[in-house]
Amino acid sequence: MTKREFIHALRAKLAGLPPKEAWERLDFYTEAIEDRIEEGCSEEEAVAELGSVDEIAAQILADIPLSALVKEKVKPRRRLRAWEIVLLAVGSPIWASLLIAAFAVLISLYAVLWSVIVAIWAVDVSLGACFLGGIAAGVLFFVVGNSVSGLLMIGVGLVSAGLSIFLFFGCLEATKGTLWLTGKIVLGIKRCFVRKEKEDE
Amino acid sequence: MDGQLKRGLLDVCVLAAIKNEDSYGYKIIKDMKPYVVLSESTLYTILKRLELANMLTVRTAEHDGRLRKYYRITQAGICRLEAFREEWREVMAIYQFVTREDEKND
Repeated sequence: MTKREFIHALRAKLAGLPPKEAWERLDFYTEAIEDRIEEGCSEEEAVAELGSVDEIAAQILADIPLSALVKEKVKPRRRLRAWEIVLLAVGSPIWASLLIAAFAVLISLYAVLWSVIVAIWAVDVSLGACFLGGIAAGVLFFVVGNSVSGLLMIGVGLVSAGLSIFLFFGCLEATKGTLWLTGKIVLGIKRCFVRKEKEDE
Repeated sequence: MDGQLKRGLLDVCVLAAIKNEDSYGYKIIKDMKPYVVLSESTLYTILKRLELANMLTVRTAEHDGRLRKYYRITQAGICRLEAFREEWREVMAIYQFVTREDEKND
């Protein structure tokens, strides 16, 4: 591979980067190749020493923060024409409300997920309250002399305590699972942007 | 090696490589080669980071009919190197203690 071919291939791979960033990188690699040639390497050897274009491009992409990629992606390639702005404004009652509705549906699905978690924690806490209440009521029954009811209350309290402890671990796992799922969703959203960048190449 | 530690070490290696005279990308890589192998993309990231931290300055100069970027250490960079040597005196003392205690059991 010659220097020209290498730089050309790398430039194509870096198409999704902000232009200034891409130019600086390309200059850096050009200099690296030229310095090796000056040292006595052949052009082919100099290029080969740098490694494969794919690996270099992958490392550069990993270096660039996602925000810079997204910014570059959403930047319009040209200025919008007057009639396009008018159309966007006139159509906004339709597309804006559809967009907001779509977001609302997604957010409410996510909220439903968390409300299940909140509900099971609430059940767990109320079982804990049952335990305290049962013990208190049982002691009270003993004090007034009704030992059968007292035993029953304490029994109910202890069963609640057992269920509460049992459910606690379930709740913990469910919460952890939902947090994990949240992480996956965020990662998925990030990947959407990066994948789009790569398709542009 | 731990990633964070390695990153910090590579930063001071590059600072050391430009401490006595201004240097350029390929020369830095060559000078470091006997101690640590550095790829061009890694070096680029380190140079950018050090530039943002004001530990070095960059100038473009003509060399043999083409342009080359030269890197010069700043006062902040020199301070960083001194701080590094101070920190590592402590690390080496700990290392000696660990080695000595570990060998006692053998």
